[in-house]
Amino acid sequence: MALDRLFNVARKEFSDHITSRRFIIILGLFLVISAIGMHSGIENYNTMLESYSLQLQHMQDLEGPYAGWMPEKPSIMLVFSSMMGYMTMLGGILAIAIGFDLVSKEKETRSLKSLLSHPVYRDEIINGKALGGVGALGFAMALALAIALAMLLLFSVVPTLDEFAAVLVFGAVSLGFLLAYFAIALMMSTVAKESGNALIYTLVIFFAVSSLLPMFGMMAANAFAGDPPEPPQMPRMPQEIVRTASSGGYFTTSVSQSVVYGGTEDPEWKAYEEEMKTYIEKRRLISDISSLLSPQSNYQTIAIAVTQPQIFSMMQSPYDTAPEETTGLAGALGKVWMNIAALIVFPSAFFAATYVKFMRMDIR
Amino acid sequence: MIRTENLTKVYNGKTAVDGLDLVVGEGEIFGFLGPNGAGKSTTILMLTGMIEPTGGRCFVDGIEVAKDPLNVKKIIGYLPEDVGFYGNMTGEQNLDYFARFYGMDARARKERIAELLELVHLDGVAQKAGEYSRGMKQRLGLAQALINDPKVLFLDEPTANLDPEGVREYRELVEHLAGEGKTIFVSSHILSEVRVVCRTVGLLAKGKLAAQGTLEEVARALAPADGDAVRIVVETREHLPAIDDPAVIDIERNGNRAVVRAKADIRDRLSATLFEQGLHVREMRLEEPEIEDVFMAAYRR
Repeated sequence: MALDRLFNVARKEFSDHITSRRFIIILGLFLVISAIGMHSGIENYNTMLESYSLQLQHMQDLEGPYAGWMPEKPSIMLVFSSMMGYMTMLGGILAIAIGFDLVSKEKETRSLKSLLSHPVYRDEIINGKALGGVGALGFAMALALAIALAMLLLFSVVPTLDEFAAVLVFGAVSLGFLLAYFAIALMMSTVAKESGNALIYTLVIFFAVSSLLPMFGMMAANAFAGDPPEPPQMPRMPQEIVRTASSGGYFTTSVSQSVVYGGTEDPEWKAYEEEMKTYIEKRRLISDISSLLSPQSNYQTIAIAVTQPQIFSMMQSPYDTAPEETTGLAGALGKVWMNIAALIVFPSAFFAATYVKFMRMDIR
Repeated sequence: MIRTENLTKVYNGKTAVDGLDLVVGEGEIFGFLGPNGAGKSTTILMLTGMIEPTGGRCFVDGIEVAKDPLNVKKIIGYLPEDVGFYGNMTGEQNLDYFARFYGMDARARKERIAELLELVHLDGVAQKAGEYSRGMKQRLGLAQALINDPKVLFLDEPTANLDPEGVREYRELVEHLAGEGKTIFVSSHILSEVRVVCRTVGLLAKGKLAAQGTLEEVARALAPADGDAVRIVVETREHLPAIDDPAVIDIERNGNRAVVRAKADIRDRLSATLFEQGLHVREMRLEEPEIEDVFMAAYRR
């Protein structure tokens, strides 16, 4: 494979994408909606920041058991969590839109035959197409992040170095998510003879992995974990702690859960708590395994770990009363390594399948 | 320049090209004839390195195509049947994209593209290729096939989408290219088109080469077997009398006209006999089968 030929294909594909009406419209819509979301996110952030400043001032007056307690400073990453929701919907559509007819259109217009008659190998063509698509999605992501950062600066919010790193990681993870759907679309474009069919196949997979799979995961978790343990029959008023974590995603509810339990020295209650803990672990294990096959679930899990580490900690250990120590960005990413691996493996598998199919494709 | 040895292609158990042995010399304009589905396009796809043969080998300028398709593509040009382009790009942009694969620098590309667009009368056309008529696409197809100034040109049904003026221009272009010493391989099912431009032909039927040579040689080879008999057409002003000649096998009479089937060419003897009898001979010639009829018969076989 020669790089000059590969880049020739990639350059042309990239240029086609970023000048296509379809790409511009969807990207424009995505950027506008993101910007509106970002705007309200920045307002919320500023409100929280004011509240934080007030709390800090009040801290000096506090005495007794709460003396020395420090409120947590809000992070600008909260602003980016709003982008996650748009990414799973419009971002996915953008990725599908640029990939579903990459090969099928060439078959329909017979330009593939013309192209292949020139000195270029098939692998250079398919890799160039993939590279051009990745470049276009990278361009879209970079544009979205640049606008987001520009808006932050416009509102006089300057991210710290750590926050900036988190923004970049968020961008990389979002790009990984987009690549998952781009890879599906490219695969279907190679398999299908017509672009219309390629689009339908891609949408079917899109909805299957984004909605059906997590749903089946929950059903499987319920079926395999059985009924939750019954609490002991004794009248009591335990100290209830209710913790809720919500992903806010469009398509999945797999990471949403509410856990209510009591804390007591009573041995029966302690046993109940242990059973409940085991039950929840079992359910989550089954649900998590099925979620690994869903780019949406993986993306949301990673994005929450990056943008909202506290909420992510609560989701990870819903029955722990003591808040987990903040471990930083690397620590947060370390906890979701399986999701990161899944988000890499998913598009890689589809790209590999596309490659094999394209290399063997009948071009009569 | 082009050589195939037992070239075979099987698609899903069906043999499209069956043990093809073909030789096309340098500078020839070779017509590859055959009905639709005979395996012409499949043969071209193998010769241009776009598909691999199931069996046998093929060579272009001494390079085995399956082993080194890229180097073969550097010296050939190919105009596919129903050629397609990128509809969002102009003709010039399409050509520029293809030209980049040959490592041509920007200046060389610009000059070559301008030259080719002028050659196919598409210079000054600012439309996107998606808005081209089929004839314009065909002409742009010719230009893209010539982008690398190839030694060998493969044209698959080149006149299929052209109007009469386009056909005339195409013929002139082929003659011009042949004059430059290029080998031209024209695949077509239209005999009348091939006989105008091609010097040698090959007839493919059901994946096999039925005959190869000049048109006359092929027609002779394909003509139905009639032993060594010749057919002489005779027409006289007067009623044709009985012909008594030991070489005559039979006579089909029709008034003043007859077709004499004889063991040898007896035209000299026959004309002398008729002259002695005071008859006025209006026509006397050997009847050769029409090439079209011969090819049609071969197509049907």
